[in-house]
Amino acid sequence: MLNNLISVKNLKKSFGGIKAVDVQELSFIEGELTSIIGPNGAGKTTFFDLISGFQNADSGDVFLKANNISNSQPYKIARMGMVRTFQLTKVFDRMTVMENLLFSGSNVNNDSFLRSIFKLNSQKVYEKSLKDKANEIMNNLNIGHMADSYARELSGGQKKLLELARAIINDPEILLLDEPLAGVNPKLAEDILSLIKKLSEDGITVIMVEHNIEAVMKISERIVVLAEGSLIADGSPSEIRTNNNVIEAYLGKSDE
Amino acid sequence: MLDQLGNGLLLGIIISVASVALSLLYGVTRIVNFAHGEIIALGAIATLFFSSPLDYRVLFLEKFSPLGLNFVISCFLAILVCGLFGGLLEVFLFRPLRKNDVGNIAVLVVTIGLSILVRHLYLLFATGKVQNFPLELQRRQTYLFFDMTPRNFNVLIAGIIVMIIVGLLLTYTRLGKAMRAVRDSEELSSVSGINSDNIILLTWVASSMLAGLAGIFQATINDVRWNMGFLILLLIFAGTVLGGIGTSFGAMVGGFMIGILVQVSVGLPFMEGHAEAKNAVALGIMILILLFRPQGIFGQKERIS
Amino acid sequence: MITKRFSLQYIFAFSLTIFSIYLVFFLNPEGAPRIVLNLFTFAGIYGLSAIGLNVHFGWTGLLNFGHASFMGVGAYVTLLLMPHAAGREGVVITTGLPFFAALTIGIIAASLFGLLLGLPAIRLRGDYLAIVTIAAAEIFRLLVRDLESITGGVYGIINYTENFQRYRPSFIDDLSDNLDFSASQGWVCIAAWISILFIVLFLKRLNNSPWGRALRAVREDEDAVRAMGKNAVWLKLQSFMLGAGIAGLSGVLLAFNYGSLESTVFIPLLTFYVWAIMILGGVGTITGPIFGSIIFWVIISETDRLAYILFENANGQQLAGVRFLLVGVLIMFLMIFRPNGLLGKKEELLLDVK
Repeated sequence: MLNNLISVKNLKKSFGGIKAVDVQELSFIEGELTSIIGPNGAGKTTFFDLISGFQNADSGDVFLKANNISNSQPYKIARMGMVRTFQLTKVFDRMTVMENLLFSGSNVNNDSFLRSIFKLNSQKVYEKSLKDKANEIMNNLNIGHMADSYARELSGGQKKLLELARAIINDPEILLLDEPLAGVNPKLAEDILSLIKKLSEDGITVIMVEHNIEAVMKISERIVVLAEGSLIADGSPSEIRTNNNVIEAYLGKSDE
Repeated sequence: MLDQLGNGLLLGIIISVASVALSLLYGVTRIVNFAHGEIIALGAIATLFFSSPLDYRVLFLEKFSPLGLNFVISCFLAILVCGLFGGLLEVFLFRPLRKNDVGNIAVLVVTIGLSILVRHLYLLFATGKVQNFPLELQRRQTYLFFDMTPRNFNVLIAGIIVMIIVGLLLTYTRLGKAMRAVRDSEELSSVSGINSDNIILLTWVASSMLAGLAGIFQATINDVRWNMGFLILLLIFAGTVLGGIGTSFGAMVGGFMIGILVQVSVGLPFMEGHAEAKNAVALGIMILILLFRPQGIFGQKERIS
Repeated sequence: MITKRFSLQYIFAFSLTIFSIYLVFFLNPEGAPRIVLNLFTFAGIYGLSAIGLNVHFGWTGLLNFGHASFMGVGAYVTLLLMPHAAGREGVVITTGLPFFAALTIGIIAASLFGLLLGLPAIRLRGDYLAIVTIAAAEIFRLLVRDLESITGGVYGIINYTENFQRYRPSFIDDLSDNLDFSASQGWVCIAAWISILFIVLFLKRLNNSPWGRALRAVREDEDAVRAMGKNAVWLKLQSFMLGAGIAGLSGVLLAFNYGSLESTVFIPLLTFYVWAIMILGGVGTITGPIFGSIIFWVIISETDRLAYILFENANGQQLAGVRFLLVGVLIMFLMIFRPNGLLGKKEELLLDVK
């Protein structure tokens, strides 16, 4: 049976009268690797912002499992197991790669002020296990040798990897990836793609916004197309390839 | 309460002109200029130096004689001095910082240092005495429903005219449009052939001249003090923020509102006997506005993504 | 490699500090103990305040320009809870709490004021927060000045030092007789440096903890912190409270150093002094402000000489003018040429904060 993990109803958002997102109904199914594509300004990132709580919708609802998360704080949504990355990579520049991961992996109790004063043994044990986990992830992503470098010393592609590593250290159920391949060299893009594929096979529900249509067609199980904020197509890669609406949306844009 | 309205309008015009200047600079350069008050004081002090009678030797270490020029000419000269000062600041201080990619916050701290430095230069060279422009005393008259001296009424009218001119210049001239283009994106405008260095220089000059004018207004209405700019700096911030930082029209209206608020609040029942705390009311309102409408009353909500 | 250069920075800072203290002895052959004690008392108090500010700005990236008000809340709450006299008439209030109880409440009050002032920080970014904090600090000062019946306004509070001086160990009195300095100031100085010692140890512990790490993450990128499931707002408020509490403690010490307390103490310039010390010592460091504060106060205490060179028979106004002018120059110079100060790490420079 298919489970609707995230569903969106009548979601609307506009900026100064310009419609950014206007989606009647859209659901994402557990375990599926879905890509959201569309021309520039189609509202893809805004759509991500709305479902991850970084922006509040003008109207409409977002459901995560059975919970209405329309007006929830981003951090609360993240704690429910939905973690996102950003179009413009946001790493903690002046912290080391290791610290980036430890911070992201550490749970709220571990971060608490009082625990940090008393530094109980349990905290040390927890930090140790976190460190092992961080090392494992870094090694898998080939950034293990950079563990003690400041994050701002990384290349653009490595920063993308770090952001991805940070997103998965907490074993999320859902990953929202905003252009994971942007500005990444073709070799690394290949690696990131296979990593995403592997995460999906491990059972994580991946939703990604990506401009690289080749890549999207290759790995997605389902593709959702937005144009001017609205849903214009939804289906398997082969269906999308031949969908007239989609061709029109893309070609129409190049005519301008 | 009505009798305070005249005072409110006068304070309003000072803050309004100064807020437009601050807002213009912030809009184009993203610099929160804590030294803005010192440029305001420069306008007043320079006017005092140009216009005071030759035998008036309180100023400037009692060593230099003032120039004793015609008052109106002195005002124009002082405004030019302020423009020159702003231009020099841009060329020798803020442009090099910008070229070295110094962040906004660091520049903000630099302007604080600059403010302290310049203000105490005034204290040393212009002395700490409260001084007045060489103008004869005038009696208050009633205009419509508020009282003020004819001179202050002229200041009010002059201020309004200046702001209308500034508004028109910003909206319709090439320069004004270019300033708005630089404000929207420095990169974009340099691609489209606008020399952003020159625009920023002109913005500094224009902002400083307006600030100098505000200083002359303030000194005409009240008096000249070495720290007169710093005393009203927070009110100027409040006016700018209230209208929406970066919008010139908002700053004009916001400045007026703050001026009137400050003076009218003296007449409020719970403020009886607490006139000294009148600025606190305006600052409190600024904080509330920022809490509930950070973009100000007239500012556009910035798109986050 | 980082550690090596780092320890070199320490050696440099330490030598410079020693040299500047030596300079004071050298320039003041007479009455040196008194002058040096005065210097160390102010350096300790302001250094403590700068350490608190560093929690805000250096650790969390919060642009706090209302630090004087945290010091003020701590000082006023503590003093008003103890026996004192206030106002133009010097109304005597003989009842009150013992010193340590009042101090504890004072520090908590400063923390809570930090919480209150931190609330705007939920929505405001950098420069807006700077404007709000400096405005809030001015509101505080104007209210204190205005509520003359309680706070004494511009006439101030007096007759409170005994609450603290009664705990003075007798060896300070013996020492002060021999070396010609004020015993009560000696006690304040010792209290300030003991406070610094404890606070530094406390912060060192926190800095290497998950909590300290979380604050630094907030400084780097709030959105990413939220996306990782962390409550950035609460972290910022905690930072505000901790730094404000430390500032409150330093405000109390400042009050005991002065012997009388007026609202004019807490003008924005006090905040700018503390900023200068923090930048000089090194933004984001823990011990930096200590070195920064000592060197800063050596500069301040010797500028009068400069004033006497520039102006024959310099008056108080001219002395103050030259002193503040140098503070302005120092802030500009540091920010432009050495923004990491004495001990700050170049890699953690806060220059490109947006």
